[in-house]
Amino acid sequence: MRYIRVFAILLVSVSLIGCASGMKYGEFQTKITSSNPDTGRIFFYRPSALGAALRPDIVLNNEKVGEAISHGFFYVDRQPGEYQVVTSTEVERKLSFILDRGQTRYIRFSTSFGFFVGHVYGELVDPDVGMKEIQDCKYTGTF
Amino acid sequence: MSKKAIIFVCFMLFGHAFFISGCAFDLAHVKYQPARIEAAKNDSAAFKLLADTPIQGAPCGYSRTLRKNTRWEPVGTLPEGIVYRSREQTLTIECSNVFEAYLVVDGIHLVGFYLPVEKGFSALKKTIQLPISD
Repeated sequence: MRYIRVFAILLVSVSLIGCASGMKYGEFQTKITSSNPDTGRIFFYRPSALGAALRPDIVLNNEKVGEAISHGFFYVDRQPGEYQVVTSTEVERKLSFILDRGQTRYIRFSTSFGFFVGHVYGELVDPDVGMKEIQDCKYTGTF
Repeated sequence: MSKKAIIFVCFMLFGHAFFISGCAFDLAHVKYQPARIEAAKNDSAAFKLLADTPIQGAPCGYSRTLRKNTRWEPVGTLPEGIVYRSREQTLTIECSNVFEAYLVVDGIHLVGFYLPVEKGFSALKKTIQLPISD
């Protein structure tokens, strides 16, 4: 019985170790500045704790902009144009999309099973879905 | 567990690893051909979907539903049809990678997707009749 308890504690610890620990979106919302009307905004978030130990870099058009951290979110403002988001674990997963002027896009990261490690991949979601799911995520960007 | 069983399990694991090492997880690709989009013609009109419309037959068995009441606006034309996008529904097609996609419509039939970043056309295996109104 003791072993089961120790195992359970270890399991919970391992699954939480990779989770975000910043300010929740709801609390952080007031700090979010409105974007320049000539640019667009991209929110990145990962609502699930599945595979939390995996925190791959998020690369936007060849530039690292952050990490896909479980229960975390951040955003960047960019010029309108074509964008590609890449996350790599044992494989590289890509997402391509268009960002328009004044537009806000939401990219949700999920984990799927791989052979040795899970795969973390981005999906473009509707703004209403993104805004809803991001509420419980914590800010992992830099002020 | 006997020594033989341990050797057998190790053998199976190595065998599996050997076979899978030759595989890539991103083997599944969205098939598309290069496409040059041209400006939308004057007679291209926006439309609204009158009912939820499931999309089947897209690459990799991907399925999505185009939502009722979403408005789709013409953004250009291809030889295969008129290209429409919506600000009310985000649409992607995906296999291992995910691509934002616009609809390509011929008359009232959805014939495929335009990938605006890749500048490509991905055809549906079977066209889908859209329940539309101007």
